[in-house]
Amino acid sequence: MDLVRLGKPSDRTGDVPRRARNEATIVLGQRKLFQRLGPGLMHAAIFWGFVVLFPTIVIAMIGAVSRDATLPWLGHQGWFALLVDVFAVLVLLGVLAAVWIRKVQRPARFEGSHLGEADVILAMIAGIVTTLVLWHAARIALGLSEWPAGWSPVANALSGFFGDGTATEVLERVFVWAHVLIILGFLAYLPHSKHLHIVTAAFNVYFGRTGPAGRLEPLNFESEDEDDLRFGAGTVPDLTWKQTMDAFSCTECGRCQDVCPAWNTGKDLSPKLLIMGIRDQVFAEGPKLLRDVAGFEPSPLVPNAVPDTSVWDCVTCGACVQECPVSIEHVDHIVDLRRHLVMVESRFPTEAEPMLRDIERASNPWGKAQTERADWAEKLGVRILEPGEPAPEVLYWVGCAASFDERARTAAESTARVLQAAGVDFAILGPRESCTGDPARRMGNEYLFQGHAEQNVSTLNEAGVTKIVASCPHCFNTLGNEYPDFGGAYEVVHHTEMIAELVREGRVKPRNDERSITYHDSCYLARHNDVRSDPRELVAAVGEPVEMERSGKRTFCCGAGGAHMWMEERGGAINEERAREAAETGAETLAVACPFCTVMLDDGVRARGDALRVVDVSTLIAESLEGDGDG
Amino acid sequence: MAGVLVLVEHTSGAVDELSLQAVALARQVAAGAPLAALLVGDGGSKAAAQLGPHGVASALVAEDERLAAYAPGAWARCVSDLIDRLDPAAVVAAGTNRGNEVLGHVAARRDLPFAANCVSVSSEAPLTLTRVRWGGSLLEESRVHGPLALLSSAPHMVAAGGLNGAAAPAVESFAPAVDEADLIVQVAEHVDTVATGVSLAEAKVVVSGGRGVGSAEGFGMLEELALLLDAAVGCSRVVTSAGWRPHTDQVGQTGTKVSPDLYIACGISGATQHIAGCKGAKKILAINADAEAPIFASADFAVIGDLTEIVPAITAELRRARSQ
Amino acid sequence: MRILVCVKRVPLTGGRMVLTEDEQAIETRHLGFTISPHEECGVEEAVRLVEQHGGDVTVLTLGPAEAEEQLRDALATGADRGVLLLTGGEEWDPQATAAAIVAAIEAERAAGGDYDLIVFGNESADSGNYQVGIRVAHALGRPIATGLKGLSIEDGRARCEQEVNGGRDVYRVPLPAVVSVLEGINLPRYPSVPAKLRARKKPIERITPERPEARLEKLRLVLPPGQGKRAEILGRGPDAAPAVVDVMRALGVA
Repeated sequence: MDLVRLGKPSDRTGDVPRRARNEATIVLGQRKLFQRLGPGLMHAAIFWGFVVLFPTIVIAMIGAVSRDATLPWLGHQGWFALLVDVFAVLVLLGVLAAVWIRKVQRPARFEGSHLGEADVILAMIAGIVTTLVLWHAARIALGLSEWPAGWSPVANALSGFFGDGTATEVLERVFVWAHVLIILGFLAYLPHSKHLHIVTAAFNVYFGRTGPAGRLEPLNFESEDEDDLRFGAGTVPDLTWKQTMDAFSCTECGRCQDVCPAWNTGKDLSPKLLIMGIRDQVFAEGPKLLRDVAGFEPSPLVPNAVPDTSVWDCVTCGACVQECPVSIEHVDHIVDLRRHLVMVESRFPTEAEPMLRDIERASNPWGKAQTERADWAEKLGVRILEPGEPAPEVLYWVGCAASFDERARTAAESTARVLQAAGVDFAILGPRESCTGDPARRMGNEYLFQGHAEQNVSTLNEAGVTKIVASCPHCFNTLGNEYPDFGGAYEVVHHTEMIAELVREGRVKPRNDERSITYHDSCYLARHNDVRSDPRELVAAVGEPVEMERSGKRTFCCGAGGAHMWMEERGGAINEERAREAAETGAETLAVACPFCTVMLDDGVRARGDALRVVDVSTLIAESLEGDGDG
Repeated sequence: MAGVLVLVEHTSGAVDELSLQAVALARQVAAGAPLAALLVGDGGSKAAAQLGPHGVASALVAEDERLAAYAPGAWARCVSDLIDRLDPAAVVAAGTNRGNEVLGHVAARRDLPFAANCVSVSSEAPLTLTRVRWGGSLLEESRVHGPLALLSSAPHMVAAGGLNGAAAPAVESFAPAVDEADLIVQVAEHVDTVATGVSLAEAKVVVSGGRGVGSAEGFGMLEELALLLDAAVGCSRVVTSAGWRPHTDQVGQTGTKVSPDLYIACGISGATQHIAGCKGAKKILAINADAEAPIFASADFAVIGDLTEIVPAITAELRRARSQ
Repeated sequence: MRILVCVKRVPLTGGRMVLTEDEQAIETRHLGFTISPHEECGVEEAVRLVEQHGGDVTVLTLGPAEAEEQLRDALATGADRGVLLLTGGEEWDPQATAAAIVAAIEAERAAGGDYDLIVFGNESADSGNYQVGIRVAHALGRPIATGLKGLSIEDGRARCEQEVNGGRDVYRVPLPAVVSVLEGINLPRYPSVPAKLRARKKPIERITPERPEARLEKLRLVLPPGQGKRAEILGRGPDAAPAVVDVMRALGVA
């Protein structure tokens, strides 16, 4: 508790109904654990068993001290006795399942976890329920059980093995004391192992994020006193209390590691090992910090708890956060570590430096002149909103990639064509549209990001913009989820959402030519923002969809997130891994809805030599409208 | 017209190409009036003899053992002495590092206006001239106010031309009134750099890479092509900022300005400050996936597509063609 | 040691130049600005020298009010104070610029301050006149070494390195001196955010100098001919390789 309290503030009090719902579904309902059915059942059996059997601990302690005493009321309820029996068996089955998973199946996600600790705990749990049932059996044999007869089938059955003589009397005492001692031992062992999660997990879930998944918590740079300012997490004292609690809640289950695109392509980064590393450093340094040991300097988290490579390998796809059964927010940890490295230490991959300088000086990460931003739009006669003009119904936020990258540009051209065909009143900001700041923010340069956010919000507010359509999921995420923190409240939709609505309204009528298309969900669209069905409607409107296995919320990143569009990649290529998965569907077209995914997957497909056409959903729609008389 | 003085640089007894261009600019200003050349240092007399076909009537060679090592102040003293003696209407030098530096000193000493990197000059006072801005991406028309104009010629933008049948200049040596102060800034030593491969500034072919190359390792295929062509490898500014190549490889307005026979720009978008560094090339071949990239407006030849496929293909084709 | 670095605010022009209607300047609406590249390295060099030898760095610019942005960038890199010689946005010719800088330095000397080293960029990216540093040095009666790729201070002298054909020329110039540097002398640091926040509070002195008559009078700016050249497309993708080799052969380089 004290170590958690050492942490910096983090406002986790809002939206109580949502928090309560999370608590109910994630903790009680074990929702996230059930994302994997087998292990989910195993854990649920043990967890629910613990919940149900909790009163038996009290009963046992009472019974240990006073043989004939028990809990009032509950100690006499037959249905409770039945529940105890059933759940004791379920727990035991759960333990056996866990043993089988760990010893026989040996999934890769346990690589790096402390398996020995689990063995001890499983043995203890088995011991607890076994001694419990045996104790009940012995009591039944001795006629001591306060529960109505016949309500404990298992205990009853076992009681047949016990006589009613002294041997049983002794055994009855042995069992209850063994039970109590194992429980006490278990409790003593808890804080020194990953099983601390038993205490912290429920709190961690309650205090988990309730806002939009794609939104990062801003830092405050306004304070006059430099000591008040926090520039991310450099050392243990910089961690927020939630980050510390996250570290204590890690069960080392490795589900995050399993879905991490970096880990799965041979890189150092494992979200699990990252959290474990932070936890270990908190335990190592925390006590000294609490005691205020003179002259103690906490050491930097990077590289002591987490190697530099791990921090930079992250693509902020959020797959880890989604998998985590105890609501650990790995991405927030990584971004906070990056913030300190970038903003305070200026220690980050050199190849990203031009991108940061370009955003700062040229207002876009490509370092091109903003005057060239609307070049693509001129040929199409797209309206550029000049200062002082009335705002259009919808502002099309093109994004830097579509403005400056030749492969991403086709999506902008297609989106404009579709909007024009549907007669939507829209305009672009042209040179006044500057980078939303997403790459800077994900890189950790929160200061640069905020400067741009404020500037863009000012431009948009002055122009009277109320609705925005964005073709880049990163822009879409930042404009919709993050700009409200800076005074920008707009209705923001992704271009697939808008186009899907136009199709539903019949304002554009695409034709289906039944080509096979597999759709790649962008992380920032599908996972961070739950936009999954609209793009699929569009794909189904023009062809025959075929799904990849890792799709929807469980999509696999293209590799460009977390500012990786501008960083080099060590080890195996994430984009090639995803291209492989797409190629294996046998589809001829790989549909995307993001400029980064377009470029990354196109690179991936070319590197592998696959015969896949990588194309934005809007281009598929626009192409299918060509030659269509009524537009 | 009182005539024009030209500072002529020379190496090992031969006049530097850029100084011949400066002489051509001086002829524009002089419009028939006599041209006098100043040469400083050993080999000056020998070099002076080559100036006849370029319209130089007299060559004055500054001799002083203290001029053996370059000192901008001492060279400026030579120019200044000749200004006193000849009273020219203009002094011209090549827009080299030294040329601009020396004229800068003369300008400062004598409080004269100095227009660097001119491409053309009128012959009537007040002189109007066109000079280079942004390394060549923009031109400026200006007028010089004053009795004497100092001008340097923009490298490779003024055509040097010989006149047929012109006589060799009258060569005279003189001793400039160099004093201690003029020698405070003087080359004290020369450090040779170990020559690794073809020098960027001298190469006949340059294979250059930009952001499109993607990484330091990506330059491997450019190096392979360069090896085949006996070329130097260059890069754009973003590549040096990203830490992929050293600044010595940078081609651009603030890097090295190159003038090869062929400049191959791979994955370079064509920002003006880069073009400023390579427009001296006779021919530019641009390889870029973006058909709209500005580089194509400055290139002679284009290949549109992925450089990671095209460059190795060129290398392979070259090998194949040579093996036949 | 006390170092003064002089910088200029220049636009980031991108892929093409567009002139204002009156042909007096580049149209800079929507363009970003920066410290001219050689000078940016000058600021970094000055800060490094002071980190090594102790002292302070002053950064000075002649420019419009917006040039404060460039001074703050230099302050974030590590300079200690700034001086802004305010113009109304019009361009000053190099002699006028040098005179204004000299006047500001002389004013400081009269008040008891002076500089051991004054650092310029060799030439500014936009006007490229190559002379402001030299004029200032002469007016102050100090030696100047230009076009430096290496600089260090040893025993009250500046050891200056220039890149020339085949190697480097070394000058040893006694302080107080003036130098002009080239990009590539160092790689400027990426300033930390705490440094940026502190830079916001560092002092900037504002002076409005008198503008003298231009001796090099700008008449107008002109785009060079041959802009909008369209390259001959040899082909697309690797299939263009044979055509490329043909061109190389024709040029005599293959």
